[in-house]
Amino acid sequence: MARSSTRPDARLLAPVQGLLRRASALSVLAGLLWPVQAAAIATAIAGWIDGAGLKTSLLAAAVFLAAGVIRAGLDHLAGAWLFDAADRVVADHRQRLLARALIAPGPESSAETAALAVQKLPMLTPWVTRYQVAMARVMVLPLVLIALTAWLSWAAALVLLVAAPLIPVFMALVGMAAEEASRRQLDEIGTINGMLMDRVSAMLDIRLLGASDRAITDFASRAEALRQRTMAVLRVAFLSSTVLELFAALGVAMVAVYVGFSLLGVLRFGAWGTPLTVWQGIFVLLLAPDVFQPLRDLAAAWHDRAAGRAVAEELEAAEAAPRVPLIGDGGTALPLAGPLSVVLQGAAADLPGRTLALPDLTLAAGEALALTGPSGAGKSTLLAVLAGLTPLASGRLEVCRQALDPDTADGWRGRLAMLPQRVHFGDTTLRAFLDPLDSGADPGPALALARADGIVARLPDGLDTRLGETGGGVSGGEARRLMMARAVVMGRELLLADEPTADLDPETAALITSALLDLKARGMTLVVATHDPALAAAMDRVVEVAP
Amino acid sequence: MTRPQTRALLRALRLLLAASPRAFLRGAVLAVLVLSFGAALLGLSGWFITATGIAGLAGVGIAFDTFRPAAGIRFLALGRTAARYGERVLTHDATLRALAALRVDLLRRLTRGDARTLARMRGETALTRMTSDVDALDALVLRLLLPAVAALVTYALTGLLLAAIAGQTVAIVVTLGTLPLAVLLLWRLARRGAAPSERAEARLQDLRRGLIDARRDRAALVLAGRLPDRTHSLCTTETQARGAARDVDRAERGAAFGFAVLTHAVTAAALLTGAWLVQTGMLDPARAAIAIFVALALAEPWPPLRRGLAELGRARAAAGRLMTDPAPPTPAAGRQADSTAPLVQIDREGLELTLAPGEAAALTGPSGVGKTRLLMALAGLAVTESQGLRIAGLPPEDWNDTDLRDILTLVPQRSALLQGSIRDNLALALPAPPAPDLSDDARFWAVLDTVALGDTLRARDGLETLLGESGSGLSGGETRRLALARAILRRPRILLLDEPTEGLDPATAENVMTDLRRALPETAILAALHRGDRHAIFAKRIELSL
Repeated sequence: MARSSTRPDARLLAPVQGLLRRASALSVLAGLLWPVQAAAIATAIAGWIDGAGLKTSLLAAAVFLAAGVIRAGLDHLAGAWLFDAADRVVADHRQRLLARALIAPGPESSAETAALAVQKLPMLTPWVTRYQVAMARVMVLPLVLIALTAWLSWAAALVLLVAAPLIPVFMALVGMAAEEASRRQLDEIGTINGMLMDRVSAMLDIRLLGASDRAITDFASRAEALRQRTMAVLRVAFLSSTVLELFAALGVAMVAVYVGFSLLGVLRFGAWGTPLTVWQGIFVLLLAPDVFQPLRDLAAAWHDRAAGRAVAEELEAAEAAPRVPLIGDGGTALPLAGPLSVVLQGAAADLPGRTLALPDLTLAAGEALALTGPSGAGKSTLLAVLAGLTPLASGRLEVCRQALDPDTADGWRGRLAMLPQRVHFGDTTLRAFLDPLDSGADPGPALALARADGIVARLPDGLDTRLGETGGGVSGGEARRLMMARAVVMGRELLLADEPTADLDPETAALITSALLDLKARGMTLVVATHDPALAAAMDRVVEVAP
Repeated sequence: MTRPQTRALLRALRLLLAASPRAFLRGAVLAVLVLSFGAALLGLSGWFITATGIAGLAGVGIAFDTFRPAAGIRFLALGRTAARYGERVLTHDATLRALAALRVDLLRRLTRGDARTLARMRGETALTRMTSDVDALDALVLRLLLPAVAALVTYALTGLLLAAIAGQTVAIVVTLGTLPLAVLLLWRLARRGAAPSERAEARLQDLRRGLIDARRDRAALVLAGRLPDRTHSLCTTETQARGAARDVDRAERGAAFGFAVLTHAVTAAALLTGAWLVQTGMLDPARAAIAIFVALALAEPWPPLRRGLAELGRARAAAGRLMTDPAPPTPAAGRQADSTAPLVQIDREGLELTLAPGEAAALTGPSGVGKTRLLMALAGLAVTESQGLRIAGLPPEDWNDTDLRDILTLVPQRSALLQGSIRDNLALALPAPPAPDLSDDARFWAVLDTVALGDTLRARDGLETLLGESGSGLSGGETRRLALARAILRRPRILLLDEPTEGLDPATAENVMTDLRRALPETAILAALHRGDRHAIFAKRIELSL
């Protein structure tokens, strides 16, 4: 079934097709109960005219209510199954997205991944729960109801038969403009939110310029212009649903008028031989609105389908994007045994869409190595390769006398730490940041070694300070020193540092350099990518990374 | 579920309504017309068929007045369609107006925030959360206010009409049989949905932040061996978010079931009441039939309300976050500034400085020592850190905000530009929004040349050069210079600069500082610098140390 169609939306729904089909069947069944209810009402009213007595009405009311409760129950159950289906689709894709975003990140930014997982995936729910079931109802219910009508009166059926199928034709005509229009409406709301975010981001500047009033007036007039443009589009878009309403209302009205005139004996055609009875007239009238209802539901679900398909396509694109898988699974493993060593020979890094040749390199325990070379030559890539974060396309990488592969990578990483240019703090306390494995070690000596004790003393809550999204309250140089302290607390033996002194004032750069040298004196092995000649000179050896 | 949240929600509702009471009213009137016409169409059709049936059986069909009912049916059918179109147009119009009003109000309250609040608002998490909250409140008009008003008015109207046509008993059964139970069902739905809808939103926001954090932190997580743990905890949050969404769905489906049973029961009750009235000869069958048809039609107003009420908890929490003031209002007109006092005075232990018009000072010290905080405090945006500071003789917090902005401008380290043209961005610095003035262009080019941006922009689209979101399209150094140009346009008496030369090569930095001094000869300048502090324009230097 999944193979019969190559469209992304069909593939997306394939795993829940069974649930959807059962729910659709239930929903159609619920719709088929309406003629029973209509018959009950017709029986009661016809009985009043014939003088049939209260008992008939009582029976009719009981049948009507019972069928109504069964219908509500069926719809309720169908709704539960539909929600299950949607939930399963969202769960599958979101959990896969989460795992993949961390183990094998692709070209998309973290904000894009988060938007897909958090905002866009839930847009699948209305599509899954509404579209297919609405389609099933449209295929069955109008035809059944028109057939029932035709059984009693071909003329009334003809009215419905003309009105109902014409709806899709007119809708298609108006709808072509409307679909474009409704997409534009969504875009416009996106635009006004974008405008708001833009101003909120710039609010500090706006305030400092004393331009608050001006900025607000400007925002209001842009929002007003946007409203006028949007309304111009919506006025056209709403025409398509109006066509539907018009045909539905006219269809019901014409059936009512036809039936009335037939009952009066003014019209003598349309029934099969005998004139229409009151019972038949009321029954036919009650069926008429429900011929159109499934069409209206389908029209409402149309937008959900468009939104759902867009998300499905985006999911497939994310799936197909080139990714850089991690070597190993990034979990804890016993650190590799033996003395620390690295040999890199004839290697090229495997980057999305290209490879990058790397210099040969050997490293023994306690050594300090500087990587120099122009920006873009691959110093950061080399550090990532050494940490097993970027795989090799060719060549050999040996760590602690073993090949770096999925079995050894996690153990190898258990012995090293990285110092990135931009340290990112999660939403944890400084204490938890310094000791992520919760060993309970006292971070004091490590902080002193990394020249970071003063930073902690200055923070309002000391080690219990939460650093938050952008490392609030800690400068770039301070963050790097805290990161070095973390490597010491975790007992790592090799530190891979990426431009540790870049963008710092000379005093802070000197602090970092002396902290690095202290780490080296304590036996830490260092690999430092740097442009800073003073720092490079302080290392044992220099390896030039050529572009 | 707290009272402040409820108060905030009511404030939001008032604000949304006040945005366009007339558009809202017209939309509500049409919504009532749509519902009433729908009920009337079914009721009239039912009456017509029953009455013609009776007349046909009695053989008096020829005498039956068919013209008026048939015309009425056609009128109602067309009228309902037209009203529906008008309703959709007008309610969307009201919603769009409300949407804008909500955002304007939010911006206005944010303009009163201090440096810390405003810096926090810039974060990606804060911005996406705000978008999501604003969206939650947007839906209030279309999903809650309008349908609720329309449902109640329709019931009242239909009840009165039914009473006039088919008698009080029938009217009471149909309206009073429905309303109390319907309100009860809705109230229960709002209660059951409140906690899970709030929780669903909170978990989704957690998931967003957690995922972004983990992605940026990936290398550190891998090296600490925590990647599987983190993935697992994200998946747990994800499961919780879906669990909460499931609870909301269950509450909503429960309410849908309740309404289906309720409307069927009321229709059955109308049928029995009609039967009894017909039996006892108090009502003719045609009028009794009206009650059944109207009861059937009155199921229509409820479904649109369900979603709004199920999500009420989320909307209330969003209102609680958005509709409360981020900062106390600025003090009213302060004391008079002292025209003889120095423009800027810093008098703290180990840090003393006075600046007169035309003087310039460099503020140095290692990063993290508090240079930015000192500048923000001088600009009146860090009220708690302003001890020992005076602007023209007054502590910054005693200044009226408008007056302080008139004489003092600060160019922060990370300037944010707006999406739009260079002209839009520069125009922000002009005193009031006047009509476009040709002399403005000359002034704009003069300041752009002062900051050495003129030639760059002339090579592009000049003042019409468009910047993307958050001012993208300029390099870091160009952004800083444009922000500086904006500050020069203000012609402030005091100019505070936070690292103005960062990202500029030494020669450009030299030129920009010299031209700045020439453009603003009478201005007192204080610049936080860690490079280029030996520049000639800075006659004074102070140093902040740990």
